[in-house]
Amino acid sequence: MSKPTDPIADGLRRGWKVAGGSHAPLPAKVACDVAIVGSGAGGGITAELLAKAGLHVVIVEEGPLKSSSDFRQLESDAYPTLYQESAARKTRDKAINILQGRCVGGSTTVNWTSSFRTPVATLDYWRQHFGLAEFGNDTLAPYFEQAERRLSIGPWLTPPNENNDLLRRGAARLGIAAASIQRNVKGCWNLGSCGLGCPTNAKQSMLVTTVPAALEQGATLLVQTRAERFELANGRVKALLCAPAGQAGPTIRIVARHFILAGGAINSPAVLLRSQAPDPHGRLGVRTFLHPVVMSAAQMPGKVEGWQGAPQSIYTDHFLETHPIDGAIGYKLEAPPLHPVIFASTVSGHGQEQSDLLRQFPSTHVLLALLRDGFHEESPGGIVRLRGDGTPELDYPLTGFVMEGARRALLSMAEIQFAAGARQVVPVHEMARPYGNWDEARDAIAAFPMKPLLTKVVSAHVMGGCGLAGRPELGVTRPDGVHWQLDNLSIHDGSLFPTSIGANPQLSIYGIANRLAQGLARRLGAGEAILA
Amino acid sequence: MHRRSWLKLSLGAAVVLAVGGGAVALIEPAWREGRLTAAGRRVFMHTGRAFLDGSLPIDNAQRTQALAGLLDRTEALIAALPTHAQRELSQLLSLLATTPGRRTLAGLAPEWDDATVAEIRRALQAMRLSALTLRQQAYQALHDITGSAYFADPATWSVLGYPGPAPLPA
Repeated sequence: MSKPTDPIADGLRRGWKVAGGSHAPLPAKVACDVAIVGSGAGGGITAELLAKAGLHVVIVEEGPLKSSSDFRQLESDAYPTLYQESAARKTRDKAINILQGRCVGGSTTVNWTSSFRTPVATLDYWRQHFGLAEFGNDTLAPYFEQAERRLSIGPWLTPPNENNDLLRRGAARLGIAAASIQRNVKGCWNLGSCGLGCPTNAKQSMLVTTVPAALEQGATLLVQTRAERFELANGRVKALLCAPAGQAGPTIRIVARHFILAGGAINSPAVLLRSQAPDPHGRLGVRTFLHPVVMSAAQMPGKVEGWQGAPQSIYTDHFLETHPIDGAIGYKLEAPPLHPVIFASTVSGHGQEQSDLLRQFPSTHVLLALLRDGFHEESPGGIVRLRGDGTPELDYPLTGFVMEGARRALLSMAEIQFAAGARQVVPVHEMARPYGNWDEARDAIAAFPMKPLLTKVVSAHVMGGCGLAGRPELGVTRPDGVHWQLDNLSIHDGSLFPTSIGANPQLSIYGIANRLAQGLARRLGAGEAILA
Repeated sequence: MHRRSWLKLSLGAAVVLAVGGGAVALIEPAWREGRLTAAGRRVFMHTGRAFLDGSLPIDNAQRTQALAGLLDRTEALIAALPTHAQRELSQLLSLLATTPGRRTLAGLAPEWDDATVAEIRRALQAMRLSALTLRQQAYQALHDITGSAYFADPATWSVLGYPGPAPLPA
């Protein structure tokens, strides 16, 4: 294989309009048709469509423009450069660590490529509880299909890596159905470094698809530029005020016909909070969901080498489908990629006991459970608030209801791992030790105090906070994506979701943003556009 | 103390200092002008030798060098955190560097420089399972930062049996 070309470097040489950071100086004033905050899943899809429809688009991105030439498959590069808060963003009580992208392409630049359409049960719940009659599976299907075609989302035909195959084998032994995960890749080298920025441009993230397409159409990209707040008057946004990232006080004023927030959950509600946007029903920032994740490690008799190969290729929804969606909390099981930094910070304990586990890295298999939050009154999610310095903070109380789900998930994962042949299983909980058989693990997990900070909980899926709703008292955003109280502001990102998705959310964001952006282009009187 | 956040650490610090009889004015900041101060380095050095016991090189000279590398990478890690997190960490480390803070928050009687690995590990274990949220948060912060900073360096990967990223064509 030859060295991959860098489409970003090529585009910059051809004169793409990029300012901020080490690129052209940031202008003090900008006028455009549409200003988009964020270049991730929602912002990227929207930018391509609106630029193709003939609108002058400006994209504002807080993170840097990095590309395959920069991606060296090193955590020490990737976390400080490509992730929010150096991959150490935490909930208010520090009990949940949150992974979110902060770079051109947003989380799509660093995600693990898992692509699922929004589950039908989730859409049914939205229609019943949030007045979202237009969010039926059949209505959304063409928009998902277009996104799938655009981003090369399809079956992954290479055999799963051992870390994923252990999930398949363990589940099969217990009679639990597992299936393959579709991925957004083209010519993937199966390196396993998706979370560190794809060094071969195989991952069809926004970085290498929609953002370049928008730039080719003449869109402007402002990088390392932080959206501070909107200037509001008479139920409309007058301007967006921005600042170079890391500097205090806005110095850039963007005037547009229409504004789009796509900074991701936590950040999008924060822009509205800083703008003192109208919120007559107290819906802004509430119902923020995380798919809280708990994990179980296992030492296998053979090599696992969870760092190599497609990070996520097998999943089971058995524990989602065997419960009513509004009953006891269900969970999706997947296997995560394993690299040294994330592994060392996840393996609990200290000293010789921790070292004994760290030294078994090559034979360590890890499963994770994504808890489907937001479908029960005891799972109301979290609330985004602002700190004194204007930065956002998510207060997400881990309720007893959620943590009992976490206990069941630890049990399910340990049972599957022993069925797959594990020598020992270590649930990721501060009171756990290695257990040599299922009976021992089951009894121990049953007795764990399932408390925050004792149970390791992480999240890579932040959703909600600007929820869609058919009536203003139920949410922030109308079914067409426009803010209920601000006529020329739309929200096109994961913050739209009125519950969690119950699956890795990238394709849900692509499909829904695709539909909302096409509708917006028509309302703005622009040409018709569809994703290529 | 349930759900106490680090943002309330200043109050916690005042309480601890009152208990310990210390003086707020004597606290040395742990993070200043983008660098760990001697106080901050002292805490990470000694918690580091306990957290990483069994993973650090056995040879004395190599171990000293490995701990120096840990501190440099810890500093780089903290420098990349947002200001609010740096501020909270600085408060935590400053407190741990004082005698009353070390005794109350970490539960460690001897000075950091005099404490054995076993003594520091006992203190860490008590923080880890403490009923006080603040002590648990402090433990988690030290655990995650130490593990992340130490194993960010390819020179440490032999402990993990990790070969490094797959090579790409030059």
